[in-house]
Amino acid sequence: MSTPMSRRRFLVRLTNAGAAVITLMLSIPAIGFLVSPLFQKRTVSWVRVGDIDNVPIGLPTPFVVAMPIGQGPPGPPVNRIVYVVKTADSRLFAFSNTCTHMQCNVHWDPGLSQFLCPCHGGLYDLTGNNTGGPPPSPLPQWIHRTLVDPGTGHTILEVQNTFDESI
Amino acid sequence: MVRFFTRPFAKRSRSAYRWFDERTGSTELVHKGLYEAVPEKGGWAYTLGSATLVLILLQLFTGIFLLLVYTPSFTEGWGTLNFLQTNDRFGAWVRGMHLWGAYVLILVIGLHMLRTFFSAAYKRPRELNWVTGALLFFLVIGLAITGAMLPMDQAAYWTLVVVTNIPHYVPGIGDGLRQLWRGSDFVGQQSLTRTFAIHIWVLPFLLFTLIGVHLYLLRRHGEFGSWVNYTPATADPEKELAERLRRAEPPYPTRRSERRWAVPRRTVEFFPTQLFKDTAVSLLFVTVIFVFGYIVGAPLSAQGNPATLTYVPTPEWFFLPLDQVLLLAPGTDLIFAGIALIGVASVLMIVLPFLDRSRERQPLRRPEVLLPGFFLIALLILLTVIGANRLWNL
Amino acid sequence: MLAAAPPLQPIPTSNVGGSIAVAIVALFHVQIATFLTGASFLIAVSEGISIARGDDRHERLAGGLLKAMAYVFTFGAALAIFWVLFVLLGMWGTFFIALTKITFWPFIFEAGLFLTEIVLLYTLYANWDRLRAYRRARFGLAILLAIALWWQQFFIDIVASYMLTPNGGDTNQLAQVLNPTDLPLTIHRTIGNIAWAGAIVAFVAALRYRRAKRRERDVRVEDIPLEHSVGAMSATWYTQADRARALRVAATNNVAFFDWAGTWGAIWAISLTALQPWIGYSFAKEVQLHAYPAWYRMMFGDISTVFLLQIFLLGVIFILGNLYFWRRMRASGTRGVRTQVLMLGFLVVATVLAAMPARFAWTYADMVAAHKTAAWWDGGWNNPIGTMIPNKVIALMVLMIAALVVVTSVVRAHSRGELRWGDATRRSQWLLLSLGVTVSLMMATMGVIREHSRQPFLIEGEITIQGQQILNPATQGQGVPSIGSTP
Repeated sequence: MSTPMSRRRFLVRLTNAGAAVITLMLSIPAIGFLVSPLFQKRTVSWVRVGDIDNVPIGLPTPFVVAMPIGQGPPGPPVNRIVYVVKTADSRLFAFSNTCTHMQCNVHWDPGLSQFLCPCHGGLYDLTGNNTGGPPPSPLPQWIHRTLVDPGTGHTILEVQNTFDESI
Repeated sequence: MVRFFTRPFAKRSRSAYRWFDERTGSTELVHKGLYEAVPEKGGWAYTLGSATLVLILLQLFTGIFLLLVYTPSFTEGWGTLNFLQTNDRFGAWVRGMHLWGAYVLILVIGLHMLRTFFSAAYKRPRELNWVTGALLFFLVIGLAITGAMLPMDQAAYWTLVVVTNIPHYVPGIGDGLRQLWRGSDFVGQQSLTRTFAIHIWVLPFLLFTLIGVHLYLLRRHGEFGSWVNYTPATADPEKELAERLRRAEPPYPTRRSERRWAVPRRTVEFFPTQLFKDTAVSLLFVTVIFVFGYIVGAPLSAQGNPATLTYVPTPEWFFLPLDQVLLLAPGTDLIFAGIALIGVASVLMIVLPFLDRSRERQPLRRPEVLLPGFFLIALLILLTVIGANRLWNL
Repeated sequence: MLAAAPPLQPIPTSNVGGSIAVAIVALFHVQIATFLTGASFLIAVSEGISIARGDDRHERLAGGLLKAMAYVFTFGAALAIFWVLFVLLGMWGTFFIALTKITFWPFIFEAGLFLTEIVLLYTLYANWDRLRAYRRARFGLAILLAIALWWQQFFIDIVASYMLTPNGGDTNQLAQVLNPTDLPLTIHRTIGNIAWAGAIVAFVAALRYRRAKRRERDVRVEDIPLEHSVGAMSATWYTQADRARALRVAATNNVAFFDWAGTWGAIWAISLTALQPWIGYSFAKEVQLHAYPAWYRMMFGDISTVFLLQIFLLGVIFILGNLYFWRRMRASGTRGVRTQVLMLGFLVVATVLAAMPARFAWTYADMVAAHKTAAWWDGGWNNPIGTMIPNKVIALMVLMIAALVVVTSVVRAHSRGELRWGDATRRSQWLLLSLGVTVSLMMATMGVIREHSRQPFLIEGEITIQGQQILNPATQGQGVPSIGSTP
């Protein structure tokens, strides 16, 4: 600047700077707080589902499991469904009944021999592949493992409170 | 006889009023509010705007009472409202009025937008009025849907799950958006807390700010009324215009450049004619809410159970067109296209005054605006009716 | 004597004969009843406009439509009674009695509205000219007629949709009324009826226009009979010379009137049909969700030949409308002709995209067996461009938007006063005639689709045509057939 700054212009600039600093000091914590869920680590834990020895082959059996949310302030666990499927070729699946279209609750319909979502008619087969209707991808699966109960010798299924992203 | 008793008080109350008025300037305020010039024709049609305001205030009023009893808890929330429904008849009535108030509000705000659209009340200089109004419309819809998520019964829980899942389809940032709203990947306590905060503070704050702007702009330019006010009635429009200018009180602008379309033919005072019409229409709507709030009330299904295998999630009636769009096709891409289509239509609606810049106000001479508008409205209504059987899940 | 009533015997005709008889009568009934419902709406609208704007043409149109309604209704009512009494009761008696017992109240209301329709229609027909002094009363009667007809359609839709998706409605009255395909069917039909009536108006106007235009060209007073039409300019006697001039004026007036009426009808037809692709899609979705076997049969096999025909006819309807508006606007020299030509391109491409089959083989199994699952440009029989999702859905949306632009363009030209009535060429009227025929074909196709989708059931999952047997064995052995619940 070639001309010297007038007092007036200096005062205006100082005021602007002060207001900007106030705004910054207000917005940094606020915005940081708002987007914090994106960066929080999820606490993943194993949850016991139950004894799956009596689950028949080819018939998905629902188990109600109390899943901790694992993120954010401590809160009550949420009851979720784990659909245990044993196929004829000895594969084991632990499906979530969350439809991949709009996340409505999916249930096994024996008449159709498929998983049916009542919201918009989405269909999934026994192995979770989306076979009809709007769902764009197969039924999500919980990460799972099986243990043998030392006392009874039965197979116990445990799932993590997170979907298996690799499928 | 009455004067015998009231005269001593009359003198004293007059002076008391004068004391008050000297300090607050209330008479001037009241005069400014009540004796504003409004157009003569179109009075009944533009009562819808004030009806919308009355209904919003009604929602605020009933909402405060609900706030006194409701806890935004994932596990306890339903219990508080269930207690209300079963034990407190008046509390259930207030809750019913809150629900029916919301439904009637959505209807009335739609009618209000329809009227302003039809009579071209968004043309210069009232474009910003329309823009704020369109934003208000979306805020009201947002309030309605976040409110629907609060009771934590089956309907509310699944509405929370499904509606917070909609951002998931935005490519790239979709999952992040969903997480921001829910507070985590799955719906839990955090989702409810955030939704509650949005419903009782964030959206109402934006709403009342925009209402303030909307009303200010309305007062600044004057009520538009009906398009018939702006067509020449005599054979000599210029002379008629000069006469109109001479008679019109502010706020109608009288600057030369805006004369052609800003001054209505005949004006009357707001009080009592227009105020009466406004009150009558508001009375009608509030009575409907009053009656339906008691007789039908607000339903409360069983406590929200994420592990249900039998409950069929159902959209709210005002979300039925969206539901029909989601029904259209499988495949992630097309679902996003449907949502994007709605987004584009919403943006077009907001910027309508900048798309339709002609000076023509008569509806029959604006088919290029009215026909697509009616097409869209017809589609909305028809899709709502087509999807309506979902509401009964029979 | 007091033994149980003997079971109903079917009359001694073949099931095939019965089905053919029902099909023929149904085809007529559908085209007639839908025209009546749509025309009543157009009459009310037309009369209302003529009162509001003091427009004679709208009044003349309303009067002409009413006269047509009266004629058509007379035939249609006789046909409907014939149908119900002899064809339905006689040949499909078990089914029809069962249906009447289940959907008793809708039938009663529908019949009551039928009586109301008779009273209103004939009152209006007989007193149209007399009531000209009481325009608003006449308008009120026209509105009542439209309401009566719409509600009649609403109640019969309950019955028709119940047949497709019973939904437990035989025991629950509310579930019967709110069965999943009822409201979509009602919406679909309401919109379609008005469009159909508009197409008929355009058709008749086109014929009359051609005749009037020919007379204008080579009119000879002696050859022209006096015109007597309801609501037209009343006959006033002139001298012979005046009569010649009056007739020429009337011919010119007729020319202007029928040109306008043809365009008016076409605008209604195209603008309302523009809504139908989405409505029809949503309707089919409800059928898919709640009556899957019917939905699959509705598609007529793997490549859905009949549905392709229907989409093709839909595209043709839009194209014919577009062509007509193009020629009409060109004849008057309006500015928006370029829009119409551009839309023609979009419509043709969208129609081709929508109407092409998804594979060039009858079934998917055939294609696999012949090892020709590659795309046709790779030597196979598959046609990836013809997939329903997303290509046909996109094509349907393009059709809808293009039709909207077409209609907006011509209405805009009219609102600017750029269309001079009387300018249309006689040749262009063939487009309107084709439009009427195509809409009629479309409705016939949809009738075939609907009936075939429900085969062999008359009430989906409950009663079939073949033996009119009730599927639920628990109700066998009773003299008068009763209704089992949904399996």
